[in-house]
Amino acid sequence: MSDLTHTQPFALRAESASEFASRAPDHVELMRELGVRPRPGWTSRLPPGLASFVTNGKGMAGVVILLVLVLMSAFAPLLSDYNPNRRAGKPHVQPGYEHVLGTTRLGKDVFTQLVYGGRVSLGVGLGAGAFAAVIGLALGISAGYFGGRVDDIITFFVNVVLVLPGLPLIIVIATMVEAASPMVIGLVLALTGWGWSARTIRTQTLSLRTREFVTSAELLGERKWRIILVEIFPNMLSFFVGGLVLGTIAAILAEAALEFIGLGDPNAVTWGTMLFWAQNNLALQSGAWWEVWPPCIAIMLTGAALVLINFAVDEITNPQLKASRKIGRIKRFLTRRGRGADVF
Amino acid sequence: MIFLARRLVFYFAAFVLAITFNFLIPRLMPGSPSDRIIASFQGRLSESQVAAIRRSYGFDGNLWEQYITYVQSVFRLDFGISTVQFPEPTAALLFYGAQWTLVLVGLAIFLAFFIGSFMGIHAAWNRGGFFDSFFTPINVMMNAFTPAIVALLLFYAFSLQLKWFPLGRAHDPNLMQNWFDLKFVGSVLYHATLPVLSILLVSFGGWHLGMRNVMINLLNEDFVVLARAKGLSENRIKYRYVARNAILPQITSLALSIGFMLGGALVVEQVFNYPGLGKFTFTAIGARDYSFIQGQLLLLTCSVLVANLVSDIANVMLDPRLRGR
Amino acid sequence: MSSDRALLEVRNLTVDYVGDNSIARAVDGIDFDIREGEAFGLAGESGCGKSTVAFALARLTRLPGLVSGGEVRLDGQDVLKFDKARLKAYRWREVSFVFQSAMNALNPVIPISEQLIDVMETHEPGLSKEEARKRAIDLFDLVGIPPARLDEFAHQFSGGMRQRICIAIALALKPRLIIMDEPTTALDVVVQRDIIEQIVELKNRLGFSVLFITHDLGLMIEFCDRIGVMYSGELVEVAPSGSILTNPQHPYTRALGNSFPPLTGPRVRLEGISGTPPRLTDLPPGCRFAPRCPHAMPICHTQAPELRFYPQHQSEAACHLLN
Repeated sequence: MSDLTHTQPFALRAESASEFASRAPDHVELMRELGVRPRPGWTSRLPPGLASFVTNGKGMAGVVILLVLVLMSAFAPLLSDYNPNRRAGKPHVQPGYEHVLGTTRLGKDVFTQLVYGGRVSLGVGLGAGAFAAVIGLALGISAGYFGGRVDDIITFFVNVVLVLPGLPLIIVIATMVEAASPMVIGLVLALTGWGWSARTIRTQTLSLRTREFVTSAELLGERKWRIILVEIFPNMLSFFVGGLVLGTIAAILAEAALEFIGLGDPNAVTWGTMLFWAQNNLALQSGAWWEVWPPCIAIMLTGAALVLINFAVDEITNPQLKASRKIGRIKRFLTRRGRGADVF
Repeated sequence: MIFLARRLVFYFAAFVLAITFNFLIPRLMPGSPSDRIIASFQGRLSESQVAAIRRSYGFDGNLWEQYITYVQSVFRLDFGISTVQFPEPTAALLFYGAQWTLVLVGLAIFLAFFIGSFMGIHAAWNRGGFFDSFFTPINVMMNAFTPAIVALLLFYAFSLQLKWFPLGRAHDPNLMQNWFDLKFVGSVLYHATLPVLSILLVSFGGWHLGMRNVMINLLNEDFVVLARAKGLSENRIKYRYVARNAILPQITSLALSIGFMLGGALVVEQVFNYPGLGKFTFTAIGARDYSFIQGQLLLLTCSVLVANLVSDIANVMLDPRLRGR
Repeated sequence: MSSDRALLEVRNLTVDYVGDNSIARAVDGIDFDIREGEAFGLAGESGCGKSTVAFALARLTRLPGLVSGGEVRLDGQDVLKFDKARLKAYRWREVSFVFQSAMNALNPVIPISEQLIDVMETHEPGLSKEEARKRAIDLFDLVGIPPARLDEFAHQFSGGMRQRICIAIALALKPRLIIMDEPTTALDVVVQRDIIEQIVELKNRLGFSVLFITHDLGLMIEFCDRIGVMYSGELVEVAPSGSILTNPQHPYTRALGNSFPPLTGPRVRLEGISGTPPRLTDLPPGCRFAPRCPHAMPICHTQAPELRFYPQHQSEAACHLLN
């Protein structure tokens, strides 16, 4: 705030010929009334996209939730002394001091299973999401940048992947490999889940393709892969992150669903197999709610966190969405001055 | 018309690809279904019996011959004999299950699309307002709660605890299947309520967000500003000028989402013990009934392809820009 | 043609763009009148705020824009304070709009006839379907498009025809003022000329006022009665179009004139304006043109000049050099 002229590009002007006309508030007043705050100093070194992400409340809330879940899974051995695969107590013990979240029908500790299961579920989800996003990025940029026959072929496969029903396809593959390990499920999910991000990135690349900076790089004789990497990729970053987030949500949910219906490896400890055993052991029917809800809540929290992150990414890729947030204050500004408040 | 013709060619190609995929998956995986069955007899089969099993699974002859036989059987709607319900042809089971899945998914998609789209229109129109700031994130978050969890929750609360809804079946077993009998239809709707709700709750948020974001972008288009400059009524601008255009990409997504919805139905049927494709698939997985599992994939793929074709036709009818092409 | 009576009085109009972390004042307290039957032009480089003014007058400022101050008076009433009912009557009956891109201004999925008729039905509730259609046909005739094509869609017309359709829609209720925001910029030169001639002819016949915005100064001088020159959100000069190039008062107007080829007479060397306009979030304290001005004095860098009327030139200008 030391440099006042900098934060105050327009100050009060001298009274003009129309002194009776309602005057606009000056810069400082307007900033206050509309709740516009200058960019926090500590974000000044960050690239603009990242800066608006870290100052986005929804996005950061999502990051915090996700981080807590990841850390709890990563430090699972520190949080629990039990072995997730072994009997730790009597069957269906209620939550209490010995067993924070009770035990399963087989006497395994639910909390231990939850934190260890997070390792696999989150790992597979993030891994499959990232893998799918990378495939989508590579194919999307190639299709959009090279055009012609390359585009035709890639677009065909993108459309096929989009059209084929994912889960039933995975079911067929998973059945064929007997009990599918989480790795296999993740791989299959990645290989079937890149359609959306490839399509979005292709469209974005197409619109970028004709911009001056790409054309000039071409005229300067830059190599194609260099243009893609240096000129196009940075502009795709937010779309890539968007694809990554959506792909991760889809992978985590699909993995849970697959394991829930019994296609996973029943001996692996994941949130999905926890649900599978709970359903198989009729936990709900026998009143052992603590065997069912913890994995449910863990999955829901992960999904919610990723959705929040995606909201923030959406607002970066689509400035219109962000502008909408100002509308309430603008309306109130106008109403206070007796002016029509029909803001569009 | 050229547009539709091109799409038709694509769908045919996708169909062929799906068949080929379906044909190749068991043949590429270690241990084909027939080998597993033969192995399960631990060498007590004669040469001719082994050959017969291979033949009945379409695993005799070279790959190309197998492929031809397979394609022919697909077009005859012959998916083999079910091993779970032994003498029944798989096709009959598939179509029996499919009708109930159709009830679930049809109702869920219809409701989700309309409820979600209307909420999206409302949220976009009053963007930044209370409804938009509160319900948009909540609705979209529900999208990330897998159908399995919502189904368990609803099942627990309304079927087990409150006993408002049944614990299984698609209709009252004492009623004969007759779609013209109101009592029967009522029973079907009653049994379908919770399963449909489970799919609905996790999918309408997607339509909400999609519609909202498309609408918000359209609100800045010149033609919407012109409509506003013309002094047209709010409802006319909202529905005739903005929503009318925003619905076009939504229809395309609708068709693409059917695959996802079918996946959700699979899980939900399992929780509610609902005799749809998903329930049968679940049993088939347990019994390693490969003909059924493959049949359901093919059936679902075809329905998604048909849905996409229908959405293309709808788009051509609704978008004059596509008509000339 | 034009009288001296003001149709629209713009006073201290201020428009801000509300960003995430900053606010940019796109239009900073400008004053001008649009007289009855007059064609008033707004000239200036792109980004100077001329379109923003046009949208503000029609109460069409879009997010994240905000008309944060000033008045726009019509018959003594402030347009910016109109309630819903009065605003509805103001729109299109009194002020209509022609956009830069006719392709984007027409809804692609609604037939043209409907886009022409709905505005009549909205403002004249008693109007019968037949009557409305008859008037739509007349309007098509007026702008020279075969009425048989009334029920076609936007994409079926050429660019020039689309802009004619937009003009037909703008004329539908015989408004007192038509705002034209770069109506010919997206068209090729021949079509451009056709359209302008048509607008002149219609204006003479129907007697509406026009607020005309373009960056083509030559076209503007030909078409407009008076011209306002904007720089960086401020009006620096308002003068009759006949004298604005021959006798410019503000150095920016002179520079702008020098960067356009004269319509007649010998070829001259064109002089561009060196430098770029200041960023709206980081404006200089004095005259905004001072950093680029060849005649800048010390006072220019500290004190902003006011727009004053200079009777000897029949023009208004904001420049310390004139005092």
